[in-house]
Amino acid sequence: MERANNGGLDGIMHKSKEKEGYAIGWLELVLRFLAFLLTLIAAILLGIDKQTKIVPIKISTDLPAFNVPVTAKSSYVSAFVYFVVANSIACAFAALSLALAFMRKGGGKGIIRLIIIVVDLMMIALLFSGIGATGAVGLIGFKGNSHLMWNKVCNVYGKFCHQVMGSLALSLFGAIAFVLLVSLSVSKLYNRA
Amino acid sequence: MSSMETEKGAVPTPQAPPVAPTDNKYRVVDVILRVLLLAASIASVVLMVTSKQTEIIVSPLGSRPNAAKFQNSPAFIYLVAALSVAGLYSIITALVSLSYMMKPIVAPKLFWILLIHDVLLLGIVAAATGTAGGVGYIGLKGNTHVRWGKICNVYDKFCRHVGASIIVSLFAAVVLVLLVFVNANSLYRRIPKY
Repeated sequence: MERANNGGLDGIMHKSKEKEGYAIGWLELVLRFLAFLLTLIAAILLGIDKQTKIVPIKISTDLPAFNVPVTAKSSYVSAFVYFVVANSIACAFAALSLALAFMRKGGGKGIIRLIIIVVDLMMIALLFSGIGATGAVGLIGFKGNSHLMWNKVCNVYGKFCHQVMGSLALSLFGAIAFVLLVSLSVSKLYNRA
Repeated sequence: MSSMETEKGAVPTPQAPPVAPTDNKYRVVDVILRVLLLAASIASVVLMVTSKQTEIIVSPLGSRPNAAKFQNSPAFIYLVAALSVAGLYSIITALVSLSYMMKPIVAPKLFWILLIHDVLLLGIVAAATGTAGGVGYIGLKGNTHVRWGKICNVYDKFCRHVGASIIVSLFAAVVLVLLVFVNANSLYRRIPKY
């Protein structure tokens, strides 16, 4: 859409507004870096989550109990694997967009900003679905489900469950960082429109 | 075009360009997507709510009927709640968007408000999809390491309903992403280009 009625002063004002609108503010950089850091730590925390417990198993009343080491690993549960993958993808994209933001500090085409908004949105959806999945499975492990005969696990594996909870909280903050990023980009678009 | 500009009011605002006729096309797409979102939310909720299945379970104590219903798992309850909220939201915003479709000049604030709320709702619906998907997958395959048995070999109709509900809620999330894209595009097209 061509605008015909800008005088000289209007042109200068709009040009500075355009530079400020497209320029990457420090808030966006901080948010991207935070998102990168939080998702990275969340993925690593859950990825290396492992706990071994010695469980005494009695076969019969005469023999002493066998001490069997039982391991709980995050890779045993599909929901946790999905969580790690989702957080890794979000972390990689946060790093990529951070690099992009540094490269195009002054200006850049608006269409790139639109693409980044949409991919940010997909990261939000991915992260939130991972959070929901680990939250649900963690809840089952914490309380059990009597209707389905799924026993609780967290009374035995305390450290494992605590690490899952910590990772979940970190990923939630990372997802909130992405939501704030999208809101910031949209507000910038709105201020220029 | 100049007549539309004088229509705007006493104070001439240099930043508001007159709406090009093709802007209405995006309004129509927006309303259609919101109606799709409503349909997907309703379908997902109905599928989940009607999924009750009763089977006779033979155990050493004797055979008794056991019912699998969505209330057994908090994950499925959350899916029903979240998708109901999404359905209500889609009705409200569809009406808002429809009312703005008739107007020749639309303030960009409309897109901004719709965008922010769409993003928030996307988080909720995506979480619902992931939650029910995670629990449903355990129900489908079981987990031998934790000794959680699968239930889908016994309750097949229940599993089919739950699976379909999850897929439809995934579709609702995709519709929300498209909605945000359409509104962001409308905002972007409003920017005066030099």
